[in-house]
Amino acid sequence: MKKILVEVDRCSGCRLCEMICSFSHENLFGSSISRITVLKEDIFGLDLPIVCWHCISCSAMEACPVEAFERGEEGLVFVNEEKCTGCGKCLETCIIGAVRLHPERNTPLICDQCGGKPLCVERCPTKALTYIETERQQPKLANQIFEETLRRWGIIA
Amino acid sequence: MPKYYGYVGRILRINLTKNQVKIQPIEKSLITRFLGGRGFNSKRIYDEIPKGVDPLSPQNKLMFATGPLVGTAFPLGARFNVTAKSPLTGILGDSNAGGHFAAEMKFAGCDQIILEGKSRNQVYISIEDQEIQTKDAEHLVGKDVYETTETIRKDLGDRKVQVATIGPAAENNVLYAGIFANLARPAARTGMGTVMASKNLKAVALKGTGSIKIADPRRFWKIVEETEEETYVHPQYWPRRVMGTTRILMLADKLGILPTRHFTSATFEHAAKVSGERLAREYNVKNRACFSCIVPCSRVYVIREGEYAGLCGEGPEYEALSSFTARVGNSDLSLALKAVDLANRLGLDAITTGECIAWAMELYEKGELTRKEADGLELRWGNGEAILTLIKKIACREGFGDLIADGVRRASEKLGKGKRIALHVKGLEIIQADPRGLKGYGLGYAIASRGADHLRSEPFIELSDDPEKGMEMFGIPEATLRLAHKGKGKLVRYFENWCAIVDSLEVCKNLAENMELLPFKRAAEIAEATTGFHFTEEAMFEIGERIINLERAYLVREGIRRNDDYLPARFLKEPIPDGNSKGAIFEIEPMLNEYYAERGWDSKTGIPKAEKLRKLNLAYIIEDLKENGIKMK
Repeated sequence: MKKILVEVDRCSGCRLCEMICSFSHENLFGSSISRITVLKEDIFGLDLPIVCWHCISCSAMEACPVEAFERGEEGLVFVNEEKCTGCGKCLETCIIGAVRLHPERNTPLICDQCGGKPLCVERCPTKALTYIETERQQPKLANQIFEETLRRWGIIA
Repeated sequence: MPKYYGYVGRILRINLTKNQVKIQPIEKSLITRFLGGRGFNSKRIYDEIPKGVDPLSPQNKLMFATGPLVGTAFPLGARFNVTAKSPLTGILGDSNAGGHFAAEMKFAGCDQIILEGKSRNQVYISIEDQEIQTKDAEHLVGKDVYETTETIRKDLGDRKVQVATIGPAAENNVLYAGIFANLARPAARTGMGTVMASKNLKAVALKGTGSIKIADPRRFWKIVEETEEETYVHPQYWPRRVMGTTRILMLADKLGILPTRHFTSATFEHAAKVSGERLAREYNVKNRACFSCIVPCSRVYVIREGEYAGLCGEGPEYEALSSFTARVGNSDLSLALKAVDLANRLGLDAITTGECIAWAMELYEKGELTRKEADGLELRWGNGEAILTLIKKIACREGFGDLIADGVRRASEKLGKGKRIALHVKGLEIIQADPRGLKGYGLGYAIASRGADHLRSEPFIELSDDPEKGMEMFGIPEATLRLAHKGKGKLVRYFENWCAIVDSLEVCKNLAENMELLPFKRAAEIAEATTGFHFTEEAMFEIGERIINLERAYLVREGIRRNDDYLPARFLKEPIPDGNSKGAIFEIEPMLNEYYAERGWDSKTGIPKAEKLRKLNLAYIIEDLKENGIKMK
């Protein structure tokens, strides 16, 4: 299936993706209401957008005590807000930390790929985000990506 | 609390003496007359810090402010101003920084933070939406900028917390210590970090779940798209993306305005070795950007070999790079990166630090400063070891470093030597462009409200050397010729007003002004679409004019007059010795006369005329200045 992939060296960490996402879904600009969030390590200048990978085996879905996590036809994970109690279990269990709760509604914010045309990808100023078919089942963890990058830059051996 | 579009609508007033927080609304009239950011801060410093307050006393106030476009998708970056009375200059202290702190201020629920009084213990402030706390900072005392930022993020358990902090230089009362956001993004100038330290305040940490509403989204997005289109095809887009401002080093060398060996030369024979081009080719690994910005002009470098192998970080920009290369005669790029890193970690203003070192080196080279006076350091041009040692000595006020930790004006007075070559205006050290070869910039240094600085006017158009532009904009062809003196009053007034708007909307001057992406007209349009308040091109120009006049009135109340609006003798009496501006000298009198006339200020005294202030709706200032015994025309 198609996924939003990140090329970490290209990401400038501007977080415009967060603004595009929050506005297109909520009509407001806010980092906490975005479904994509940029992880930063200022000390090395690393930036990494984190967004739901819609894993085949979704640990947040498994952990949800009220089965509010469902999967659509395209294989996308989404949340049935009527079932959700806002317990936050999904937050703790998502392996890449892609789930956050809406600060007011208290329900999980999960990337919906804008219905097949993700705006964050379209408007990314450095083309760090791409939306393509991939065979890979599991996402790489942020720490692993950071480590690989620092090795490539020659900062760690 | 009024809920505005664009703005949060809240001011946090934190009294550190009483450990008390007040939340105040922002009045509509403040918005329509002063816009935000620098405008808000300047208005408040005039109104709330009376004449004669000691900058390092609890009576001084430290203010952070940001603007209406920040924390949205408007693509020109997101900045904040920090303002207080300056301990370095004794007048308006003000500095501005980018990164991600400003946007978080808005998400955390404030447009402006006013810090008053002085805490009894060492503290930092943590703001998380409605929760505003002073937290113990004993464990952070003496920690550098990087360690402090990391520790606070760990303490608060969130890597996304935005931190603005001071380093040891501020704690040791170095008069030009800055406030650093995102580690290497300082509001560096005029000693704002020193003021923060005087309040026993180590840092401000922010995090928030708030969001910003737009008044007219359709119009907002139209302007955003228009601006984006222009940006991507702009001839400066790629050079800025590759080199950021470091591209200026070679340009300045070519024009013969690169301050070399403390302005004794205007070209540097090793310029290529320390250039932005070389940095991009051999050191840079990726780009970074401020919040929401589509020009990622900041770069991450890695040193792969030599003594400093393994060092990496964000930056530097032209000012810091040039400060530790050409200005001090150093041709070792890795050493310059190390020097900038050190200055950042210790929390110093790289421009002033560079001037202090270069000043000492010139004295030493001329035999006017002995090795003994300089703590045994051999202060020869380009002595890298001495440069690094001096940076550390300044930060801990040790030996000779203690003397120059007061800035070059006080140091020269105390030493009783080198007063003539102390390169500052009103106590603020001059930046990295030779005013003799850039007359508009030079006039800008002379009259800027925070002392010698280009960011108050930055009349970049002068670099075009295109007389047709001068004719078109000001009816004077010489206005845009860099070596000409005529028309610069008009030029600088226009650009000062523009910069005041850019600083008050808190967008990036490189994009908004240098790349001309936010002319007055578009500034009015985007402000209107975002906030819902009515703004016109003319109104924007007038707001800029109002801010400049208000800041001038503040300076006047503190005793500044025409005779303070001068450049150091070097620029007025010694012609540029080499390069493409060879022979150029700065004739200040006619330029000041023209400028005051354009401004509507009394040309004898440099005091704004009453009529001018009245026109700008600043009548209350006339009364106040009168009460302070100031005679006005």
